[in-house]
Amino acid sequence: MTRQVEQRPSVDVDLLQGTLDMLILRVTALRPIHGYAIGQRIQQLSKDALRIRQGSLYPALYRLEERGWLKSSWETTEGGRRAKFYSLTKAGRRQLETERAGWDRLCEAISLVFETAAEE
Amino acid sequence: MKWNSWLKRRWERQMDAEFEFHIENQTREYVKHGLPQTEAQLRARRDFGGLDLAKDECREQRAFEPVNRLFRDLRQAIRSLRRAPGFASSAILTLALGIGANTAIFSVLDAVVLRPLPYPEPDRLAVVALYNPALKYSTYLSYPDFLDWQRGAKSFERITALSPTRGYDVTNPGSPEHVNGYEVSANFFQTLGVTLSIGHPFTAKEDQPGGAPAVVISNRLWRERFGGNVSVIGKSIVLEGAGYFITGVLPPDFRFESQPADVYIPIGRSNPLGFRQDRTNHDILCVARLKRGVSIGQAHAEMDMLQEQIDRLNPDTEKALSTHIVSLKQELTGDVGQTLTLLLGAVSFVLLIACTNVANLSLARSAARVREFSVRRALGASRVDITRQLVTESVLLSLLGGAVGLLLARVAFGVVLRAAPVPLAGVIDAGLNMPVLLFAFLVSLAAGIVFGLVPALRYSRTNLEADLREGARGSTARRQGVQNVLAIVQIALAFVLLSDAGLLFRTVNNLWAARRGFDTQSVITFQVGLSPFVKQSASATRTSYQQLTARLRDIPGVKAADITALLPLGQGDNSGPFWLGTHQPASMSLIPRANWYPTGPDYPRSMQIPLRRGRYLSDADNVHSPLVILIDTVMAHTYFPGKEPLGQILTIPHWGSVGPVTARIVGVIGHVEQYGLNSAGSAKPQIYYSVYQLPDEALPLFRSEVTFVVRTMTEPGRVLASVREAVHDVIGDQPVYNIRTTRELVSGSIARQRFPMVLLAAFSVLALVLSCVGIYGVVAYSTAQRVPEIGIRMAVGATRWDVIRMLLRQGLRLTIIAVGIGAAAGLVFAKVLSSFSNLLYGVRTTDPLTFAAASLILAAAALLACFIPANRAARLNPMNALRHD
Repeated sequence: MTRQVEQRPSVDVDLLQGTLDMLILRVTALRPIHGYAIGQRIQQLSKDALRIRQGSLYPALYRLEERGWLKSSWETTEGGRRAKFYSLTKAGRRQLETERAGWDRLCEAISLVFETAAEE
Repeated sequence: MKWNSWLKRRWERQMDAEFEFHIENQTREYVKHGLPQTEAQLRARRDFGGLDLAKDECREQRAFEPVNRLFRDLRQAIRSLRRAPGFASSAILTLALGIGANTAIFSVLDAVVLRPLPYPEPDRLAVVALYNPALKYSTYLSYPDFLDWQRGAKSFERITALSPTRGYDVTNPGSPEHVNGYEVSANFFQTLGVTLSIGHPFTAKEDQPGGAPAVVISNRLWRERFGGNVSVIGKSIVLEGAGYFITGVLPPDFRFESQPADVYIPIGRSNPLGFRQDRTNHDILCVARLKRGVSIGQAHAEMDMLQEQIDRLNPDTEKALSTHIVSLKQELTGDVGQTLTLLLGAVSFVLLIACTNVANLSLARSAARVREFSVRRALGASRVDITRQLVTESVLLSLLGGAVGLLLARVAFGVVLRAAPVPLAGVIDAGLNMPVLLFAFLVSLAAGIVFGLVPALRYSRTNLEADLREGARGSTARRQGVQNVLAIVQIALAFVLLSDAGLLFRTVNNLWAARRGFDTQSVITFQVGLSPFVKQSASATRTSYQQLTARLRDIPGVKAADITALLPLGQGDNSGPFWLGTHQPASMSLIPRANWYPTGPDYPRSMQIPLRRGRYLSDADNVHSPLVILIDTVMAHTYFPGKEPLGQILTIPHWGSVGPVTARIVGVIGHVEQYGLNSAGSAKPQIYYSVYQLPDEALPLFRSEVTFVVRTMTEPGRVLASVREAVHDVIGDQPVYNIRTTRELVSGSIARQRFPMVLLAAFSVLALVLSCVGIYGVVAYSTAQRVPEIGIRMAVGATRWDVIRMLLRQGLRLTIIAVGIGAAAGLVFAKVLSSFSNLLYGVRTTDPLTFAAASLILAAAALLACFIPANRAARLNPMNALRHD
């Protein structure tokens, strides 16, 4: 008996390039991780709300590596296969902090607007 | 290279592996959820989205990708152009003509105007002159003035004097030769910053009255007369019969002004007729090197103050004279720079026309490639990608065209430079240097981008459906519109060039025909050397001249002959003061000046200068008889208005080494053009006296200027052999040099207008040819569109001429509009032309004859260009025409 693949309630979010970059940096900060796993992890951490399109993910990874924020190396997975693992560089770590701070400020500003607007 | 592509392949393999790994994982995920293997795989692949697109985007992220992309585009462009050799070659040729013409003019501009003078720190060198603010002209200064300036001027690091070039006969060692030379201050070469090859310049001690006779010689003279021997210092050389010893030899590439001079002697040593102490004798040219950080404006202010002091200390001779400073570069190049800039503007029109032609060709070709573009767009290429491809192709074309153009420019450069009235022509080497190459490159690049964008903007859109449906012929209406506009622009530009060339042509004609006060036909002028023996004696000199003159008159075919020490038409001047009557005026600075012509008695008649009153000079006027003079009509009008000038007395401040002498006016003759027409000095009065009345000590001063003029009955050149014979008979083995006809003198005096005229005419021809090619293309295209229609018309009875008339209507409309716009533009640019350094003479900027002629020529050429394709289309077999699609 075949089971139908469930319809996932998540949405294919077309993230802004900068936002996607920030998420990738966050995920790779913990430990070296390959491309497929990055997509899965973002989906997992956002409780299925964010599903990254592979067509956007890999160009972003290549761009970040070119910028010097990620470094990559080919390692063997637990399953014994060869995969390209990405990890954060020192510069990448600094960039992550900068972007995170910027994002927090943005959120705060937007919340303020809504609160104020709600009061009037 | 191999390493590069191996790296690239490795990179690609890794990217493939990474994507495969991802898809594998996704497949496994789906299999885990219960999908069969093959379906899971399919789904995983689909989930990934456009695999190739993603790969492309990843490639884009590589740092050196833009370079790779450029190479890819270039390879693509080369392939594409090789498939269309006809298009490529006509585009390259058209561009080569346009870019080549521009580069040629620019290289002349660069060589003459932009390139600095061949001295160290040349922008600090300036020419300082006296300036008469009342009469608004600048003049040379006197030697005492120069000495004052040298003592008092603080703005200059060095200041030096020179006396304008004179001729010297060099005898020992070697055979007699006539050379040019300057009298210069001891610090002349130091001021310019020139180091001598051998030895050193003469010292300040030698540059004084009674100083030792030192001389600096040119490299050429050193090689030819001293065999290039390095121990030439101290050796002797004989100039004009006097012995000098050599202190130095100049480097081989030394130049100052355009006439090569071979000897430089100390200016302070000679004192001809006391001129070096005479403040009223202005024969010194002053060159100075500004101190670092001092501008010409600052120096000018200081010199004006200094001159004011000098004026106060010498109320007798100087009053209210100020100074005038220009950079040496400006003095030497004059207003040629302006003319060249004008020509650069004009030649850019030619380039514009060439570009519009190529743009039209490009449009036509792009229309045929619509399918190719649509497919590329469908495969994911963006508008930018298509634009980039087209621009790459066109830049490649124009760079190739530019390279061919450079070759053309190299050839043209030499030709243009020889025709240009440029003083420094001897200094310029016809090299293609960096600025010129850079210019050619930039122009090619710009041209390529511009005409590459035209089809790109049109055909990089997404919605090319309409074009696809129309097939290779493309969308008719809009393309036709753009082509028409471009054709109109071309014709308008060509019109501007034609009309400007026409105006200059009429100017040159007017200048040729203008009256110059004497008969410019059939006169030949030349100078002769005299033996040192003769030159030492004034009476021997006079006798030689008189005998030679008589012998010349005996030659069959010669109507008249005599000598003069000053020729008209820009051959210099001889300005000197005088006053009316015998009463010396209070201040010498108030006395008027005139151009003085020391001539033989028969000179005015030889030149056919008309006699208005009184008599010409005669043989009876000699050193023993009272001094008599002729004045010209301008002088009569200015100083004796309504009165009888004959018999009036004039006083000349210096006559030889004697003080003021009086002269009686015995005749009034016509005024001749001493300078260019319409120039500042045209109204200067002219006074003639007989050379044979000059005192002995004054004769040597004019000897090197004495020129023989011979009026012949027919072609002046024919008597040359007889002239040489006559010289040989009377004077012996002496050189005859500086042989020119007066026609050549006239021609030389209008070089300033003829040069741009010739070039503009050449540009007009180019523009005309290119425009006609453009129109031909437009009309050929549109008639090709209408072939089915023609077939139908002919099938129902239209004749060949009916069809031609129908097809020509479009061309005619185009031509009329274009000529109209061109005429309007032409009027505007004619105004620009005339405001540029007074190039026009005797023609209005709205000259109807010129504009009518230009309209006719353009219309005729355009109609011819339309007629050919129309005629060909009309000759089609109607059945073939109907079948054509």
